[in-house]
Amino acid sequence: MTTTTAGKTTTARATPAAKSPASASRLASSIKFKTFAVAFGIVFPVMYVACEWWNLPLFTFHPATNRVDFWWAAGRSGEGPAMYWYGWTVTSLLVGLVVGGLATLLPESVTRKLPLFLVWLLPVLGFIPLAYSLMPFWTK
Amino acid sequence: MLISVTTFWTILLIIHGLLAIALLGALTHQAMSVLLPVRQAAGPAGFVTRFRAVQGAGYATAICLLWILTFLMGAWIYVKYRIYIRIPIEQAGFWKTQGFFELKEHAASLGLGLLPIYWYMWKNAQNPDYDGARKSVTVLLAFICWFNFLVGHVLNNVRGFGS
Repeated sequence: MTTTTAGKTTTARATPAAKSPASASRLASSIKFKTFAVAFGIVFPVMYVACEWWNLPLFTFHPATNRVDFWWAAGRSGEGPAMYWYGWTVTSLLVGLVVGGLATLLPESVTRKLPLFLVWLLPVLGFIPLAYSLMPFWTK
Repeated sequence: MLISVTTFWTILLIIHGLLAIALLGALTHQAMSVLLPVRQAAGPAGFVTRFRAVQGAGYATAICLLWILTFLMGAWIYVKYRIYIRIPIEQAGFWKTQGFFELKEHAASLGLGLLPIYWYMWKNAQNPDYDGARKSVTVLLAFICWFNFLVGHVLNNVRGFGS
């Protein structure tokens, strides 16, 4: 991809950081990290939507009292609302980290087949059930 | 106490907003560079040409760090938002406004899950195998960032900290 800046032609892909193996970090050139990142990118949105849909927070936070309950807990009478978003996000992160880590143990012939397009398609599709679950807000 | 509680949370909100603006600028430059790449010399470069002629790979690490910092600041002020902002918004009947905030929190989390592969693909931008996915992920992150920024801005207009 060739770019032009003020009449000067450069190659956008071949940036110094991307071109030079010496300046690229070991992480960026690691096939295992790529496997982890793809698996994490696929698992995270699926887990997040599942956590929100079936209400599976790792913990529940009660902001009025700063109390934390493990797993799901209803808001207590007189103690304000309960918050689940922190718990959904942490659950998704942990499952993503574990599955991503396990994926790095698989042979490269298997991990190479992980479809890369899912890392952007799944989050896009995830917005459909997430927006649908907010129907009470849209219809009131 | 040097400052009031309200001032403290307002300062945190402003920091959250400033981080979001930095993230918005970086992601918009990067998204434009992949959506409308400048391909050939055609006379002197104008503002739009220079805007989209950035080298996207150099933004990747900064964007990841900014997303995480903005996310953490947002998660922090969300504690106060839940009680001092959301409840009055619900009492006033601004249900759709609150619905968009709920969507904003989901979008921020989904964006967080994209960061490892986004970073990897930009750090390997010379590999054409990643071009399509890298473009899609970058545009998606930019869209989420704009959406979240605008929703946050409107919410602050509806009821900010200290109002």
